[in-house]
Amino acid sequence: MNRNMVRMVTAIAVFFCLLWIFGLGWAVKNYYAGKPDQVPQKTNVTSKIDNKKGLNVVALGDSLTRGTGDETGKGYVGDLVDEIKEKTKKPVQLTNLGIIGQRSDQLKKQIQQKEVGRQLEKADVILVTIGGNDLFRGGQGLMDFQSKNIAVIEKKYLSNLKFIFEQIRRNNHKANVFFVGLYNPFIELDHGKEMSKVVRRWNYDSAEVSAAFPKIIFVPTFDLFELKVNDYLYSDKFHPNTKGYKLIAERVASLLTW
Amino acid sequence: MNKLIQNEMMKLIAKKRLVVIALIIGVLVILFTYAQYKEIQTQRERLGTDDWRTAVQQNIVDITNRLSSSRISEEWKKQLKISLQQQQYYLDHDINPAEPGASTFMRIFLENAIDMLIPLMVMVIASDLVSSEYSQGTVKLLLTRPVKRWKVLLSKYITLCFAVSLIVAIAGFLSYILSGVVFGYKGFGTPILTGFNISDEALNTANVKLLSLWKFLLMDFGLVWFVAIVVGTLSFMLSVLIRSTAAGMGVMLAALISGAILSNMVSSWESAKYLFMVNLRLTDYMKGTAPPIEGMNLSFSMSVLLVWWAAALLVSFIVFTKRDVY
Repeated sequence: MNRNMVRMVTAIAVFFCLLWIFGLGWAVKNYYAGKPDQVPQKTNVTSKIDNKKGLNVVALGDSLTRGTGDETGKGYVGDLVDEIKEKTKKPVQLTNLGIIGQRSDQLKKQIQQKEVGRQLEKADVILVTIGGNDLFRGGQGLMDFQSKNIAVIEKKYLSNLKFIFEQIRRNNHKANVFFVGLYNPFIELDHGKEMSKVVRRWNYDSAEVSAAFPKIIFVPTFDLFELKVNDYLYSDKFHPNTKGYKLIAERVASLLTW
Repeated sequence: MNKLIQNEMMKLIAKKRLVVIALIIGVLVILFTYAQYKEIQTQRERLGTDDWRTAVQQNIVDITNRLSSSRISEEWKKQLKISLQQQQYYLDHDINPAEPGASTFMRIFLENAIDMLIPLMVMVIASDLVSSEYSQGTVKLLLTRPVKRWKVLLSKYITLCFAVSLIVAIAGFLSYILSGVVFGYKGFGTPILTGFNISDEALNTANVKLLSLWKFLLMDFGLVWFVAIVVGTLSFMLSVLIRSTAAGMGVMLAALISGAILSNMVSSWESAKYLFMVNLRLTDYMKGTAPPIEGMNLSFSMSVLLVWWAAALLVSFIVFTKRDVY
């Protein structure tokens, strides 16, 4: 055994031993050091948008955007993107920002985030579904459809919607925005007829708000689910199933232009 | 004393264990590098972009959606919430939480190796340091020399500390050099955030600091080394107590594996936090993830480990000096 070799290995070991002890001490000191000397700054500089090849689709909204109830997990957004890919033969980049159970006031908050704004900026097509949770509130809407409550809720919703559209247009003034309207999942239950009336009114007012903005298109879905609603609903009797999402996707696809 | 240490170092090198350890770590690093590379590729395919901000934003939305599910446990929910807030913080400050490069790979490798891989490698050296002398009968040759017994054991222990330092260094070097082939040898200067405090429900960002990655890495290395020393000492004690190397290794292995399992389910058994094996993930405190049991923090974990370390060392020396050798 070479004596020098032993010496060298020992020397290296001692060096690293000391280095690691130093690192350990530093870690403890750093962990318990009070005020940071270098505070991270919030940046407001939006970085340049990269890869501008192909189409950018940004989807915002609630569980419908997410695709809850679709066995394939795609939802109408996924179906639509598949269709666009097939038609245009271009690469499509999808950013799905849908959050299950989201209401209009939450979307209002989400859309003000810097990064969401950046995503909107580079979008070519923007898809929105919102309002279902405002109106139905997980089925509670069915109980108090007649009360004055609805009017208050709707008023709030419409002002949120207006804000959301303004925000979208501020970030991106040229992309087509497709706003998917509500259907009535309770149409075959008791009071289904009365509920339909509320939904129709809701949709009408939403379409009015959309019409006030350029290139924001209200896409009705009420009629798609009017006959044989149960064929198109998932087992929770609220979200669409695979077939139901296909219907919505087809309707939006027929409106696309490029 | 110097001669004794030199003698032990010679034995260490002659056994070629360090080479074996380097080979094991090398093979694993290659595997992990490939896995990481594949993951980046699938992510790029799924999102259709290289842009990290899009990836982080998508991740935030995914976590939010998972949180809305009613079927997940409270514990898991809390961890998700913390990670959500952290991701949002990174995004708001325009810092990439995982800047691609060999140095980030090295950081992730260390964070994941601290509670299992590195301790195992240390065990390879520590577990037969004393017991092999018994089984081969060389302990008599060693003890018949005119040196005090505690000096003999101390020389062995110092050698173990050197070996541990070398193992940590080897892990660092190999993970950097091998992964750099794929990810590029860069990223030591990239900023990383540390100092997230976890209070009951939320993430406290008041003391968040911006660090260069190389500083963060040096701290990580220090913590990994500390854990390795503690595990090495425990395993050293077992090698003094139990003459059979295999039995000693088995005990240590069982402890380490039980630690990994326990960390996932001890949240309601509070006194489990005094076991050494649930305190091994020290680097998590630097990164700011929720500890397995509430109330654990860096100083707590380090003190628990220190107590175990001191006890193990004491037992080793007392037993070795008192025991009859025949």
